[in-house]
Amino acid sequence: MDESRLAAEEWLVKLYEYAIRRLILMVFVLFMLSLVVFYLTRGLLPPTSALSSYITPRMNDTAKLAVAQSLGVATSSCPSFTDFTRSTPGCVVPLWQQYFTWLRNVISGNWGYTLLPGISGTETTWNVFFSRFPYTAELAIAGAALTILIAIPFGIVSATHNNKLPDHVSRVISLGGYSVPQFWFGALAQILFVLYIRVNGLGFLPANGALATNCGICISDPGLVSQITGVPVLDGILSGNPSYLWDALVALALPSVTLAITSIGALTRIVRSSMMEVLRQDYILLARSKGLKDRVVIYRHALRNALLPAITISGLLTALLLGGAIVIEIVFSWPGVGNASLIAADVLDINFLELYVLVTALIIVATNLVVDLLYAKMDPRIRY
Amino acid sequence: MTDPEKAEVSRPTSGSIADIRYGFHLLKQNPLVIFGFAISIASLFIAAFANFIVDPNAWKHTDLSFRLCWNNPAINWGLVNIFNCGAQIYPLGTDSYGRDVLQMIILGIPLDVQIAIEIVTSAVIVGVVFGGIAAYAGGVVDEIILRITDIFLAIPGILLAIVLLVILGRSFGILTLAVAITWWPTYLRLMRSQVLGEKEKPYVESLKAMGAGPSRILFRHIVPNSIYPIFVQATLDIGGVILTVSALTFLGFTPNPLIPELGNLANDGIRYIFTAPWLIIFSGLTILIISLGFNLLGDGIRDVFDPRLRR
Repeated sequence: MDESRLAAEEWLVKLYEYAIRRLILMVFVLFMLSLVVFYLTRGLLPPTSALSSYITPRMNDTAKLAVAQSLGVATSSCPSFTDFTRSTPGCVVPLWQQYFTWLRNVISGNWGYTLLPGISGTETTWNVFFSRFPYTAELAIAGAALTILIAIPFGIVSATHNNKLPDHVSRVISLGGYSVPQFWFGALAQILFVLYIRVNGLGFLPANGALATNCGICISDPGLVSQITGVPVLDGILSGNPSYLWDALVALALPSVTLAITSIGALTRIVRSSMMEVLRQDYILLARSKGLKDRVVIYRHALRNALLPAITISGLLTALLLGGAIVIEIVFSWPGVGNASLIAADVLDINFLELYVLVTALIIVATNLVVDLLYAKMDPRIRY
Repeated sequence: MTDPEKAEVSRPTSGSIADIRYGFHLLKQNPLVIFGFAISIASLFIAAFANFIVDPNAWKHTDLSFRLCWNNPAINWGLVNIFNCGAQIYPLGTDSYGRDVLQMIILGIPLDVQIAIEIVTSAVIVGVVFGGIAAYAGGVVDEIILRITDIFLAIPGILLAIVLLVILGRSFGILTLAVAITWWPTYLRLMRSQVLGEKEKPYVESLKAMGAGPSRILFRHIVPNSIYPIFVQATLDIGGVILTVSALTFLGFTPNPLIPELGNLANDGIRYIFTAPWLIIFSGLTILIISLGFNLLGDGIRDVFDPRLRR
């Protein structure tokens, strides 16, 4: 009895050690990533590109040089702005020094100003990014929820009816989902619901926007609801306004289904193969030979073990959803960060792109860490 | 469908020629794999001979008086203001430059298939070489290579590709490079785990005793013995790569919007989604069919050659 408790404590200590090691590794990966992103954006582009969101055509060269010096891109001994643009030796600060200045700013939350048109000339990158981020997060979470709700039952049915009709149907649907271009699926959904399925002469579901007013079944006036969190669905719940909530859900329907379609295909295949492997284990045979019903064997005995590998791919799932969100946001004119990043790409707004890449990477790396720790907690066979 | 019990009896030992022949025997019985194989061969055929099927310069002939018109009587879109393009029948309508969409799709397939094959090949080469080295050398080398892959796995592929295209410029060469950079970590990890198992086998020991150098052992003996799961994964990935490439050109990362490429055509189509829906529907459908073909083929091959899933 004592011995087993000792072993359990030892295991817990090892788990903490593992968690700390992973945390250090995570910081290291993020640090290296910031190095890569910095080199790509500031090292490969001419040094003036770092200034683009700070200078206006009306500034004279002295003012421009002062901006460059205050940003830590030009040295204090640089005689004129033309020397800086020509990268005269001794005029541009070495890249590694620029990196540390940039890193200091970034860690203290100073991501500079953004170039994104139509928002504001003087908005900080941080504010613009996080005013749009709730929309992307809402889309990604809805996509993840749909994926889990659909893929797990599909995978189970596919494994328990291996090589029979349900398996073939589920295989075609999941491979189809995995092979369908998201922009095509989104466009097709829009064409169907806006052009052909109509209510009172209006499109049944809104073609675009997080809160469109042009759909046939929308009921609320979006202007009347105060924004609490910036996430329309959450705002609808928090402000106790059911019609607003309904409209937000209606607007979310097509984009989230389109976003989920790829990851449904991927997750179904994974659940299927892990379920098939578990169903071949001896303990399942034992459970069956005890005379337990199929339902009990599958849902009580097999499913719990079969879902463990499916949980580990949540990291992959977040990457799929966040990456896919860019295309979906363009197709549905969704006001999220993916949509803005393409505008940023057009005007070469490197501040915004840096923030976008690093926030996405942080989310993915952190999800992977949490998932691995959860996995260790749920499966006691795993030792570190 | 064979009786699974009979198949179990006749199953040869794993890894032998008879085993591979048995695998092909199983493949031939799966209708979906045959279907996928047919689509893959057909798309490779169109990719190889597109220039003989359609005039290769057809994409340069733009005529705005024929833009966005539809006169194929087989489909009635039910839209009010569809422009009819006169006597000559365009089976899939015309695009916003007045070109035949069917011709543009046929001319677009070679580019997409070629880029996808280039991307998968280069990603496989990088993954095999560095995955092999990481597993065979072990220690610090292994750790460094793995940490570098971690960095690339932390960003969604399409986002990294967008950043690279923004910084390095919009061309199909950069596009190939950008997507390949996001795909190699998969092969590296797969190759590494394969070599880790293979390098403990007795024949490696005897090669060492005979005085073979590490690079000879790794690339002449271990790699050829452990590479076939990589090929299976590569077949499975061609569909995904085509999707990524067309998504990027759809987002506008293309050197010239006139070039017939499936994502380019779809980009043109999304602007006229409610006035000329055929544009995006048929260009996207082509991408779907090609990528579904390769995915069905790869999925079937994986099921057959993965001994854990085979019955």
